[in-house]
Amino acid sequence: MRTKLAVAAAVLAVLPWFLHDYGMQVAIQALVLAVFAMSFNLLFRNTGLLSFGHAACFGAAGYTTALLVSKLRWSFAATLPLALVAAALVALVIGFFSVRLTKIYFTMLTLAFAQMLWAVTHKWYGFTGGDNGITGLLPPGLLGNPKGLYYASLVALAVVCAIIHVIRRSPAGYTLRAVRDNPARAEAIGISAFEYMVTAFVLSGTLSGLAGFLQVAWQHSAFPDLLYWTTSAEVIIAVILGGSAEFFGPVIGAAVLVVLEAVVRSHTQYWPLALGIVLLAMVLFFPSGVISLFQRRQRREAPRAAA
Amino acid sequence: MTLPFFFLEFMTGLASAASLFLLAVGLSLIFGALGIVNFAHGSFFVLGAYFLFALTRGDAAGFWHYLLLAVAASLVVGAVVERVFMRRVLNRAEHYQILLTYALLLIIEDLSKICFGADYKSIGMPKGFEMPVFVLGIPFPSYYLGLVGLAAAAALLLWLFLHRTRYGTLVRAVTQDREMLEALGVNVPLLFTVIFALGIGLAGFGGAVSLPLQSISTGVAVDAVISAFIVVVVGGLGSIWGTLLGAILIGEIQAFGALVLPEFSIAFTYVLMAAVLLFRPWGLLGRPPAVRT
Repeated sequence: MRTKLAVAAAVLAVLPWFLHDYGMQVAIQALVLAVFAMSFNLLFRNTGLLSFGHAACFGAAGYTTALLVSKLRWSFAATLPLALVAAALVALVIGFFSVRLTKIYFTMLTLAFAQMLWAVTHKWYGFTGGDNGITGLLPPGLLGNPKGLYYASLVALAVVCAIIHVIRRSPAGYTLRAVRDNPARAEAIGISAFEYMVTAFVLSGTLSGLAGFLQVAWQHSAFPDLLYWTTSAEVIIAVILGGSAEFFGPVIGAAVLVVLEAVVRSHTQYWPLALGIVLLAMVLFFPSGVISLFQRRQRREAPRAAA
Repeated sequence: MTLPFFFLEFMTGLASAASLFLLAVGLSLIFGALGIVNFAHGSFFVLGAYFLFALTRGDAAGFWHYLLLAVAASLVVGAVVERVFMRRVLNRAEHYQILLTYALLLIIEDLSKICFGADYKSIGMPKGFEMPVFVLGIPFPSYYLGLVGLAAAAALLLWLFLHRTRYGTLVRAVTQDREMLEALGVNVPLLFTVIFALGIGLAGFGGAVSLPLQSISTGVAVDAVISAFIVVVVGGLGSIWGTLLGAILIGEIQAFGALVLPEFSIAFTYVLMAAVLLFRPWGLLGRPPAVRT
């Protein structure tokens, strides 16, 4: 695992020297979605809660950056702390109310909150620009050139992975999974399931905000789409496509999704159709995600090598 | 705001409520019985409208008899989708169900773009409803009233089916206890196919009869399914009368919200949805889930 990780990191570190303009755009988009997917999976994997509200955190951070830059002329990088605070606040409100519910009711409530934020952003022309969005946000310096943004996103991904790794191995991580697997028993030994789940939601939402910030830096604009439910659907697809049970599954899923989209779109305009077919195949034939395809082959080959 | 104006706004809200009810009632029925949240439900609504448009070639003259064909086509599509896809995820974790139905949403969106084109489709007022009626001296599209009548008839027929026929009793029974029904020798897989096809047929019917009201394009599906979610969550997942109440509330909130605070009228509906989920997660007319041991 350690050598694989080192090789992957080395490849990612030198990748910009082998990609031309379009390749860089695809690579940055994949990294940003990977940050988002890892953050989403922090909640999904450790609590089993399927949130349709993460677009709200993602978009709240993106819009905070866009508004500060366009209205108050802040420098791009300086908006990051406030963008994260915005994402955290949105996550706190959504999480505080939503984690009381379970299963589909949780999913529907997170959806309702995110759509509320979308509806306001979409219509409030005076403040957010409505569906015209906020455009022309050219980040100066490091974040403005593709290589700089690539490395910033790579560092962000590394930081997010490190944070999630630490949480997963910490007593809090074990407690979360205990709550997930048997809430009644966890409560019986004195764990406040509510507090742990809200904390997980806020952490997951805040890190999603990091992805939202990078997304706006990448696309130089903010549109209500950032907050729409299909954005939440996209990150869920990335996570499950990669394999939510594996630590780096969401990263793999994000990379596969973004690269596949770039390849399909260069041949045909029917990318949604292609994605739909891939998802159908995944749900019906390899439900553990792309990452399981490699593992199953390893397992099948292992006995043969022994014999 | 004068009284006639107020009344007409109310009737407009009721017309969109009729459309919302037909869209959402199948979603509620399918969730109640199969336990599946169908993210492709809005797509079947749009598909019904496309079927009607293709059959009539955009000419309102053939509206009524092609309407039956469009509904029949939706029923068949529903039955096939249940047989081929849905039953494979019935006992799987809900995120797989969501992913599968989302995949169907994407596929239907692009297939209808390929078959029917990406432009907006609309159709004139159908036969018998070409002329407006005058309500307190103000002209009002008579088809709005026709649509409300159609939705009311559909609700009544559905109620009669569920409560006055043997098969309807089975449909209600399977939402309560699937194993028991299987033990009694009922063909539950067939029942599921019938329920799913019925739900999709209703959505297709809703899409088709809404076509004179609102033009349709493939992008409408992602908005429609969320509207359907709001309606069934507010009314109560699995409850027919709840869906009717939810549709009327949402229809009227949108109609009057657009007058009072046009910028936030959509947001109001989400506020209502969130409030219901917080205080009555099972919906206004839904039944609290029984604790099963």
